[in-house]
Amino acid sequence: MFSTVAQAVINGLLIGGIYALVSIGVTLIFGVVKVVNFAQGEFVMIGMYISFFLATKLGVDPLLSLAISMPALFLIGVLLQETLIRRVLGLGDMPQIFLTFALSLLLMNVALLLFTANYQTVHTAYSDASFQVGPVYVSVAKLIAFVVAMLLSGALWLFLHATDMGKAMRAAAQNRDVAMLMGINPNRVFSVAVGLALALAGAAGSLLMPFYPAYPTVGQVFTLMAFVAVILGTLGNVTGALIAGLMMGIAESLGIQFVGADSGLIVVFLMLLVTLAVRPSGLFGGWSR
Amino acid sequence: MKRRHFLATTTAGAVATAGFGTPLLGRAAETINIGGLYPTTGSLALIGQGCVNAAKLAVQMVNDAGGIKSLGGAKLNLITSDVQSDPTVTRTETDRLISSNKLAAIHGCYASALTLIASEVAERAKVPLITGSSSDQLNKGRTFTFTPFARASQFAQAQLRMSHLVSEKPKVAVIFENTAFGTATSNGLKEQAPGENVEIVMFEPYSAGFTDASPLINKVKSSGANMLFSVSYLNDLILIVRTMKQLGANMPINGGSGGFVQPEFYKNVGKEAEGLLGVAHWNHDIDADAQRVSAAFQKQYGEFIFEYAGGLVAQTFMLADAMERAKSSDPQKVRDALATLDVSRGYAAMAPGGKVKFGPDGKNVYGHPVGVQWQHGDLASVFPSQEARKPLMKA
Repeated sequence: MFSTVAQAVINGLLIGGIYALVSIGVTLIFGVVKVVNFAQGEFVMIGMYISFFLATKLGVDPLLSLAISMPALFLIGVLLQETLIRRVLGLGDMPQIFLTFALSLLLMNVALLLFTANYQTVHTAYSDASFQVGPVYVSVAKLIAFVVAMLLSGALWLFLHATDMGKAMRAAAQNRDVAMLMGINPNRVFSVAVGLALALAGAAGSLLMPFYPAYPTVGQVFTLMAFVAVILGTLGNVTGALIAGLMMGIAESLGIQFVGADSGLIVVFLMLLVTLAVRPSGLFGGWSR
Repeated sequence: MKRRHFLATTTAGAVATAGFGTPLLGRAAETINIGGLYPTTGSLALIGQGCVNAAKLAVQMVNDAGGIKSLGGAKLNLITSDVQSDPTVTRTETDRLISSNKLAAIHGCYASALTLIASEVAERAKVPLITGSSSDQLNKGRTFTFTPFARASQFAQAQLRMSHLVSEKPKVAVIFENTAFGTATSNGLKEQAPGENVEIVMFEPYSAGFTDASPLINKVKSSGANMLFSVSYLNDLILIVRTMKQLGANMPINGGSGGFVQPEFYKNVGKEAEGLLGVAHWNHDIDADAQRVSAAFQKQYGEFIFEYAGGLVAQTFMLADAMERAKSSDPQKVRDALATLDVSRGYAAMAPGGKVKFGPDGKNVYGHPVGVQWQHGDLASVFPSQEARKPLMKA
């Protein structure tokens, strides 16, 4: 019994790292730019395909391809902000929602056209490898993904707290008008925020690639989980999204083990409902950002 | 210049009035339209596209062999329609296809849930529909639907019997995706298990499209099963098999039908797929004709012809055989000729057992599934003994 529970918690925690990475991106964009990005999952998909093609065409290990997928998506993020999101800022919620939602549909269908609906996998030496700690099996690829996800989250936290740009970003998140009065250039801050958020999505894609197949609609699964995590962890709160992402992974895993294999998400959504009833602004509402 | 313009317009006019595929040169033999309803977009797009490819190949084979000889060598013309993996679209597309074309027959739609709808519409319009879909419901109260291959209930029985190949006392964990396909198939397994002397120790639905299979596999591991039956779509099955390895769950897997028998499955799972078992209503090694068809398909599309697509080639030849005997492309007459179909050789008989004859419920009275195993990147027929083309590989 103990080993079953321990295994379930480890399984949940490891996939939770990926949920956290995607969620942090969504919450960062919302916190700073105040736009809900429905296309975040599609950028995970793009990250996956970048790693897939680098691995199959040039033999680059998916983990090393992080060095390409992250900068590439950062650039895409900056372009996205400069060319599209910027134009709908201040126009109210509807144009922003339509923009990112349309972007999500567009990216999925372009991917379908370019890459077909086929599932694409990359096999590395560590893809299906695992080691045992007592009775618990730990998948090597998932552990690597988890550790890198946590390192990236830590790096983002440091960036937000220890650099001028990071502080400017938090200032813009707290109060955009006052931040502007203090001499912060919001457009630059917004571009960097969207760039970083997409870079995290790209990282999630590359980290998934060794153990998860890429296909055009793969992002949908992660977008759903990311939105729950973002609301659970309080919209705009990066640390909150991280913790909520991990919690959801564990809750889903325990739910599948003890409630039913088609009820894993029920536990997650129950957690969301209870949280919203008790703390309407999320678990970390009112905390410092 | 003027003359060329005249030629171009008249040719275009001829095509427009007669429909596509009409031979423009020589004696104007009749062209016979066959409808093909497949999901070429949406979640089933990959398989649907494969079906369309096979349907085209089959029509080309019939035409290259001289078309329908009793109708003066009339050529078949395939008109396909995308049902978008969606039940509502399937209904409107079937209606549209039938009402806007003069069709002799229809085939489709791969997924049972979609075929059930299309067959309802075809029944009302009195157009015969032939299908490889396995739902037993397709044989209830229909007179225009023909199913030349094994039924879902037979799949379950074959799967249970195969478990005795790998264990003397099979204790099976059954996991299944929780929509029509998974539920129907797994219920069949549950009902027949006691009669086949198989113990089911875990019976668990899951929702398709999960992000991580490890919680589910953890549950399988703790159930005390010595074998896993997974009734899953392709993507879930890929994750399940790979996660089994990651979590050190070493037990034989029977992946059933559906995604498991696709070349795509092996491409994604790789060596871990070796030795895994499944069931199919058709396989490319069942006879020399099937091997020829598969070779032609492979030449064009780079992989062996998968279960449903291979069966679809046979279906097209069954339709051709019916038209040949009916000496007509009238849907009612084609239907009547299908009802008396009785073949034991040629491409039309390309089915496990090598014989096709429809009973009053539209079911092939000789229909039965084959047990298959992934061996060295190829899908080999291994069960039952009279259908085995390769010996069972010990994992």
